[in-house]
Amino acid sequence: MDEPRDDIDTWLEERVTPLLPRPGTFDQVRKRARRRKLRQAALATAGAAVVAAGAIVVPRLVLSGHVGGSPVAVSGSTTPVHKNSPSPARPSPSDTSGPQTASATPTPAVPPVPPNFAASSVTFVSTGVGWVIGQAGTPGQCGPPDPYICTSLAATGDAGKTWRGMPAPVTGAPNGGAGVSQVRSLNGASGWAFGPQLWATHNGGQTWKRIATHAMRVTGLETVNGFAFAIWARCAGTGPDFAADCTSFSLYSSPAGQDNWTPVPGATGLSGPAGAPASAQLVLTGGPGGRGYLLGPDGTLISGALTSPARWHPVTTPQGAPAKLSCAPGPAGTDGHPLRAMLAATGPGLVLLCADRGSGDTQAKTLYYSADRGRSWNLVGEGLARGIAMSLSGTPDGPVLVATNDGIDVSVNAPGNGPLGWRAARGAAAPGGYSYVGMTSSAQGVAVPANTDLDAVWFTYDGGAHWRKSPVR
Amino acid sequence: MGTFRTSDRLAAEELFHACYPRLAGWVRRLVDDDDTAHEIASEAFTRLLARWSSLDNPQSYLYMIATNLIRDHWRKVGRERRALRAVSATVPAESVHHPAQDVDVRALIQSLPDRLRQPFLLHYYAGFPVRDVAEMLGRPEGTVKADLHHARARLRAVLGEAHG
Repeated sequence: MDEPRDDIDTWLEERVTPLLPRPGTFDQVRKRARRRKLRQAALATAGAAVVAAGAIVVPRLVLSGHVGGSPVAVSGSTTPVHKNSPSPARPSPSDTSGPQTASATPTPAVPPVPPNFAASSVTFVSTGVGWVIGQAGTPGQCGPPDPYICTSLAATGDAGKTWRGMPAPVTGAPNGGAGVSQVRSLNGASGWAFGPQLWATHNGGQTWKRIATHAMRVTGLETVNGFAFAIWARCAGTGPDFAADCTSFSLYSSPAGQDNWTPVPGATGLSGPAGAPASAQLVLTGGPGGRGYLLGPDGTLISGALTSPARWHPVTTPQGAPAKLSCAPGPAGTDGHPLRAMLAATGPGLVLLCADRGSGDTQAKTLYYSADRGRSWNLVGEGLARGIAMSLSGTPDGPVLVATNDGIDVSVNAPGNGPLGWRAARGAAAPGGYSYVGMTSSAQGVAVPANTDLDAVWFTYDGGAHWRKSPVR
Repeated sequence: MGTFRTSDRLAAEELFHACYPRLAGWVRRLVDDDDTAHEIASEAFTRLLARWSSLDNPQSYLYMIATNLIRDHWRKVGRERRALRAVSATVPAESVHHPAQDVDVRALIQSLPDRLRQPFLLHYYAGFPVRDVAEMLGRPEGTVKADLHHARARLRAVLGEAHG
């Protein structure tokens, strides 16, 4: 609607307060819906029987006047056809479920993982179930730049011991404003492929739908507590640098089961220091009282409740001033995440990694910890010189992991317990290091190698101390 | 028949938890009490789940159903009120004023004709874009825009009177 906003809008928006369902409501609703469905089916069957009876009566009337003619078979004309079945088949005599409706969907055969799977992002919804997205050498209906390289997805149900192929968005690798490179799933049913385009599935990846983002690029997306939140940015980066030269960032959210993306009030139109490349990062904490944190392109921290359409607000210091972090996100990496400031939830708090430009393979890194939702920060780590930082992860128990171009470093203690000590993780030896590290639980985590030609991801099952390669094939 | 596949159930449950609080809160503003709001929201979800697999846009369907149920509720309450007035001179003539509202929202919205009320509820309250509202109501976008404009003008006038 193009009309200017006025006090009617304000008046309307202020007054809808959510009304939580009473316990057991969903089960009641589901049972009532099932009863109605059965009743409707019974009525439809009865109606069909009447129609069939009429259909049979007419030929018999005609035949009765056709003396000496050949008998005509009519039963075949009422054989139900499985409308969406891949190969139409007559139901067996024991099949009492009746004709399939148009709503039935075929069960796709489990495809193998396509060869040469270059993983770029991974998501886990439990310690066992996860998806990995990447580009694979499977000819097909692919987008530019290379029609013979497809965006592909693989899934595991056993924590990376085995992988299987699954349907993926029909698009290519990141190329300016096109393609996807990242993936997140809430629960194995709803999931999103993004960076820079945005695609969604709500049936476990069987089908994917492109979401219109109005010429903006999605540079980050996280999901928790029934909602998905995403950073939509206006960027001019070309080729694989889809998150480069971004000038404006807005946070959008949608209920996870839908594709109804709307801007989050208080977190839109954010920009970085004039002329400087900027990025932004999103961190969500789940559970009751879960909160979202947006590390803005100018180094401010914006926070809000994880209900839509709750307004987000700048985090303030205990003195009431806007909290300014010790570093700004700076330019984005090829996965859309910031390279100079990285934020993660760990234990009951937040951890912030500030990294300088680096020299060769060394880089000054400083870690800060906040136990009060970002209002105040304490220096907890220096001297982590090895490698160029690529990704930061916390754990439910508190220790912190940093992925670099040289491996993975794990803190030996939680930042809430004083200055951090570090050790190099064993087995995290991918040439070129890791572009992403994330922990599914305090013990289990996954890392994506920076060199995608390795066709693998890495797993830890002991809190990050040891890592094991899991070929995606 | 009659049972959800696991992925459907997960998706339905997810939609329920994501949408119910806002839908029920939205309904509560427009009806008498929490019980009625829960009743309408639950009924809307029941109808949604009964047709789950054949719907392209479950949220639109949900709000359309809720809008119709609210309209039915208003009609029923209106009939009851008129019947009560006919037998008792002591029953207040006006609807009960919700203590949390400084303006009787329901009376304002109820005063809109059906043609304006439906797009108003769906666009301004439920947050559907004009294009979606047009599709839901089977009207051209231009007509919906005009209806919204007229609805706003009427409300603005009543609000002006209430504040002035």
